[in-house]
Amino acid sequence: MSTEVIKVNINSKEFEVPKGARLIDVCRDKGFDIPSFCYYSDLALQASCRMCLVRIEKMPKLQTSCTIICTDGMIVTTQSEEIEKAQRSMLEFLLANHPLDCPVCDRGGECELQEMTFDWGGLEERFIEKKNYAPEKYLSPMVANDPQRCILCKRCTRVCDEWMGEDAIEAGGRGANTVIGTYGGWLDCSQCGNCIEVCPTGTLLDGTYRHQARPWELAQTISTCSYCSDGCEMSLGSRAGELMRIVARDRYVNGHNGEFLCIKGRFGHPFVNHEDRLRTPLIRYKKGGKLIPATWDEAIRYTAEKLKAAAAAYGPDALGVVGSPRITNEANYALHKFATEVVGTKNYAATDAFSLKPFFDNLGAPLATHRDIRYAKTILLIGGEPEELQPLTAKQIRQAVSNGAAKLIVINSVPIRLVEHAAQFIHIRPGMENAAVWALGHSSNETTAAQKMGIEANELSALRQTITETEGDVVIMFGGELNAAAQMIVAQLANSFRADTRRVLLHPLPLYNNSVGAHDMGMMNGAMSVAEMLDATGSSIRALYVAGSFLPEHLRGREEALAKLDFLAVHELFETDTTAFADVVLPAASFAEIDGTFTNNDGLVQRVRQSIPPVHQAKPDWMITAALAAELGKDFGFQMSASAVFREIAERIPAYSGLRYPVLKDESNPVQARYNIVEPRDLSSALNELKQTVAALPDDGEKSNVTPRVGHELFKIGTLTDKVSQFHLLAAGNPRPDTVRVSPLYQITVDAKLERDAAVSGD
Amino acid sequence: MFIGAIGCEPLQLARVHLENSRSLDVYRKNGGYQAIKKVLDSMSPDDVINELKKSALRGRGGAGFPTGMKWSFVPKDSPKPKYVVCNADESEPGTFKDRYLMERDPHMLIEGMLIAAYALGAKTNYIYTRGEYRYLIDIMDVALEEARAAGLLGNKILGTEFGCEIYTHTGAGAYICGEETALLSSLEGMRGHPRMKPPFPAVSGLYAAPTVVNNVETLTAVPDIIKMGGEAYQKLGTEKSGGTKVWSVSGHVNRPGVYELPMGYDDMEKFIMEDCGGMLGGKQLKAVIPGGSSVYIMRADQIIGKDVRMDYEGIVAAGSSVGSGGFIVMDETVDVFESTKNLTEFYKHESCGWCTPCREGTDWLVKVFKRIAAGHGRPEDAQLMLDLCDNIEGKSFCPLGDAAAWPIQSAIKRFPEDFRKHLVTSIDSGVST
Ligand SMILES: Cc1cc2nc3c(=O)[nH]c(=O)nc-3n(C[C@H](O)[C@H](O)[C@H](O)COP(=O)(O)O)c2cc1C
Ligand code: SF4
Ligand code: SF4
Ligand code: SF4
Ligand code: SF4
Ligand code: FES
Repeated sequence: MSTEVIKVNINSKEFEVPKGARLIDVCRDKGFDIPSFCYYSDLALQASCRMCLVRIEKMPKLQTSCTIICTDGMIVTTQSEEIEKAQRSMLEFLLANHPLDCPVCDRGGECELQEMTFDWGGLEERFIEKKNYAPEKYLSPMVANDPQRCILCKRCTRVCDEWMGEDAIEAGGRGANTVIGTYGGWLDCSQCGNCIEVCPTGTLLDGTYRHQARPWELAQTISTCSYCSDGCEMSLGSRAGELMRIVARDRYVNGHNGEFLCIKGRFGHPFVNHEDRLRTPLIRYKKGGKLIPATWDEAIRYTAEKLKAAAAAYGPDALGVVGSPRITNEANYALHKFATEVVGTKNYAATDAFSLKPFFDNLGAPLATHRDIRYAKTILLIGGEPEELQPLTAKQIRQAVSNGAAKLIVINSVPIRLVEHAAQFIHIRPGMENAAVWALGHSSNETTAAQKMGIEANELSALRQTITETEGDVVIMFGGELNAAAQMIVAQLANSFRADTRRVLLHPLPLYNNSVGAHDMGMMNGAMSVAEMLDATGSSIRALYVAGSFLPEHLRGREEALAKLDFLAVHELFETDTTAFADVVLPAASFAEIDGTFTNNDGLVQRVRQSIPPVHQAKPDWMITAALAAELGKDFGFQMSASAVFREIAERIPAYSGLRYPVLKDESNPVQARYNIVEPRDLSSALNELKQTVAALPDDGEKSNVTPRVGHELFKIGTLTDKVSQFHLLAAGNPRPDTVRVSPLYQITVDAKLERDAAVSGD
Repeated sequence: MFIGAIGCEPLQLARVHLENSRSLDVYRKNGGYQAIKKVLDSMSPDDVINELKKSALRGRGGAGFPTGMKWSFVPKDSPKPKYVVCNADESEPGTFKDRYLMERDPHMLIEGMLIAAYALGAKTNYIYTRGEYRYLIDIMDVALEEARAAGLLGNKILGTEFGCEIYTHTGAGAYICGEETALLSSLEGMRGHPRMKPPFPAVSGLYAAPTVVNNVETLTAVPDIIKMGGEAYQKLGTEKSGGTKVWSVSGHVNRPGVYELPMGYDDMEKFIMEDCGGMLGGKQLKAVIPGGSSVYIMRADQIIGKDVRMDYEGIVAAGSSVGSGGFIVMDETVDVFESTKNLTEFYKHESCGWCTPCREGTDWLVKVFKRIAAGHGRPEDAQLMLDLCDNIEGKSFCPLGDAAAWPIQSAIKRFPEDFRKHLVTSIDSGVST
């Protein structure tokens, strides 16, 4: 929008508004209520509900304010008898065929149609005819559909298309028989549930939460997602100590993700109250013996003794401390403090898939926020697969391209789904991402790099040209494929590409909700990586203290590593491949049970808030670590309060200085950590190193031409999604059931496979 | 069935009675493809548009928008391709003229489209018909093939630098796909929903490129305009309604058919009682819907002795409009409640479902009609229907909503006795004529 200002007159008052402003936004901004259903900011205009009618002088009919761009001197009336009649009549039309049985509707109590009816509905129903009927059904294990309640605002189809790039649902039928449905009767899509979220009525419903609770019974807690590094803000709905559902509804939450969540954030929460959660601390008194329930005091004392003994026998460096990119900053900070100040070991690390330390150590430009991505002019994506691993980033990219005319350049060995939106796809041979960065580092490397990657050299010069012709923001994103030297070069690329009219912003794509925070807390500064520690068990590493579990890729090929340890203590939610070898298992509280912070891939430090009391005897990770420290004679001074831990973080870690929980209070105003932006670095040695890397790469390799299936990385994000029975169904290819009609409500019992409830089955 | 001109030399219908009138040969022997030759030999695109403006030709699809003006809205400097799309959806109840024009004289449409394509710089052009007109596509395809073989289509038309293509396409048979923006959505392969205007198709139409959508009869008028000159064409009709107009006459007359009349033909009563052979079985005239179902229904006493001129201004003055020229005559046996119920069922069936008032309003109205027809009418139902129409009219996304409201509004106001019969007590709803 331009900075030019024009005058409009609304209800006899003059206002100055920016040129290009949309009338409905202006009216609302100035305090004039305009009812609407179909208008949704940053989605294609629909103009179909006809609720937002206003009178504009010199125009023949009432006008829909959602479609009008203000012009200078425009005279607008938003309230009059004529307008009120029109708006009331639209609501009357919408309710004509509507069941109006809010008490049994899952959306009752948080329904926009219901709210609008309070304001604009009539007292009497003039419609005395028979209502149209359409049967309820499940569209997928996640999405239930009660088409009678639909007002055809098509928010759902638009988010599916514009946010998700899926186009999986569309209206079928015509006129009053129109229903929102699928292509082929069964919804095959990413199951993000955003269509459910934006639906203003009880039409699309969370199939996993149907008839479980009423919204007014739920305590709503604003928190941050515990899955990927995008860090969506969300509302945890709990009742009596049970987490019932997660939504992003912006009436509760107004984070940088708006109403967006992905399948994991929205549906991946059943692990919290899962029956397999650990109930008490467990001690295995004898190697090969059983884990036996213990009290917290016993477990802490036992662990402290064992750690002390190992340190005494082999020296402190024989003790490894392992943090996690899944747990809070507070937890990782406490572990780092424990490693460095209590044990005094130089061997500590977090169980992340890759370390961003080389990137942050050489950071040459600010991190892009997700908002920056939406308004970027050019986006360069090197490796990675955000549509699977950082879905909010993928949504921002799609909207930047389709609603903002940004150019997307994808460098990947696989035609990932985002390629569909790309202005340029540089299809490289597998494993060649480092070569691409080497070429970006200096144009003289382009020819050699192109040969290795199996592309034409002019593809790289075209990419360079797109960047240097950009006016506005260039966002460079990269996945875990880059080695340390390549990360350093990417971190410094801004120095060669920025200009007066062009900002360069960086967006790393780590995998986990607190990958960045684990790095910030110093957990990546240790002498050994997690893999190196595992390789050294039984020799230089004798005991491990682990919060969370090792990743499957860490344990793969190292099945014996944990057995070689003298002692292994683990904080966990469940029994895992790691706890199978543990001498002590300490039940940790999940993100829903604790206070803390996560730092996302924008560097936003966001609050995690306690929604339910810790399940069984679980405790927050930082509290367990502090108890162990106390047992070993060190008072961490945390005074049982997460905010005290965070205060210490802010005092000790420069990027977090000045932050306090109250500063992070408002999720609609997220705070970015202040990372040090370094002076331009001499990159010659990094480039040289990369040159060696590139030279060692093979000269051939098959490029994949297969676009990966939606959801193929669903399980990558750890063991927690494993606890969602519906996810197993999706992993099995989301098979279409014989019948999904639900009248009376036909239950789909999904427990790894589809089972009919005998009592209500039959068509 | 009568097909022919009354009160003027036939232009549109000049060749329809000739043997083999579909063939390129017959078309050429009877003045065909001379207009495009004249255009390519001696006229600039602007010259063509100027002639169109002088001709006072108004779009025959229903809205009556001046064609020359519409063509002049196409931005010449746009780097995008431009398209001419012929609207051959002809789904307005009571309208069947386009079908005869295409069936009997397909080359006239091709020539009109070529001239339009030349004037607008379009290289790709489409003829979009309703699904039920499948057989017309076959006829058009044969004609297009003939034209192509004769160097009248493709590159270097008639040996000049001008070249363009015309393709045919059918919808699936939805009334809404006659609305120009819905037609474009359908042509692009999407659901047939109308799009927001502005931007108008002339600026952003097919594939978001400048597009002119014209009715068949509008385009078939173009060759004659070029041949005789815009001014001469205009003079066949009136100042604001130039040329001749083809009417589809149906209903209770002795001679239904396709009639070409000069614009401003005097008068409607004579047309019905003499030209169309008078009322079937000598019955009394009761009502006329002069312009396809989407216009106000007229009472006989708005026509008899009223000297209604048959052109845009004349029929508006008499209380209705030209619309698509679907002229439906009803005698005294017709129950206007029933005929209006029938039309409302049509609109309900054809409402595309995009917007609230039309989707829900037509559904509700049909239910009210059915309830009344089943004997459960209430005195307040007429008022209810009028109020529902008022809540639709002017508030719907596209004109279909208005089109559904107008027949009911005019029927209740002009034929209250037909509604009264079905309701328990009388309606006092301000009967106006
Ligand atoms: C619901 C609806 C149906 C329409 N159906 C037709 C049609 O079948 N044929 C047609 O030519 N125009 C139809 N129109 C009018 C077109 O939108 C458009 O005005 C016309 O094609 C323009 O051509 P013209 O300027 O040559 O009349 C329809 C309009 C509406 C609102
Ligand atoms: S769940 Fe997501 S992808 Fe699937 S239909 Fe809904 S919005 Fe589209
Ligand atoms: S399902 Fe919901 S979001 Fe979709 S059109 Fe219907 S009411 Fe709107
Ligand atoms: S995109 Fe990432 S942060 Fe957002 S809901 Fe999904 S997993 Fe959570
Ligand atoms: S008025 Fe609305 S529902 Fe009716 S046809 Fe037009 S857009 Fe569709
Ligand atoms: S909000 Fe404007 S028409 Fe729906």
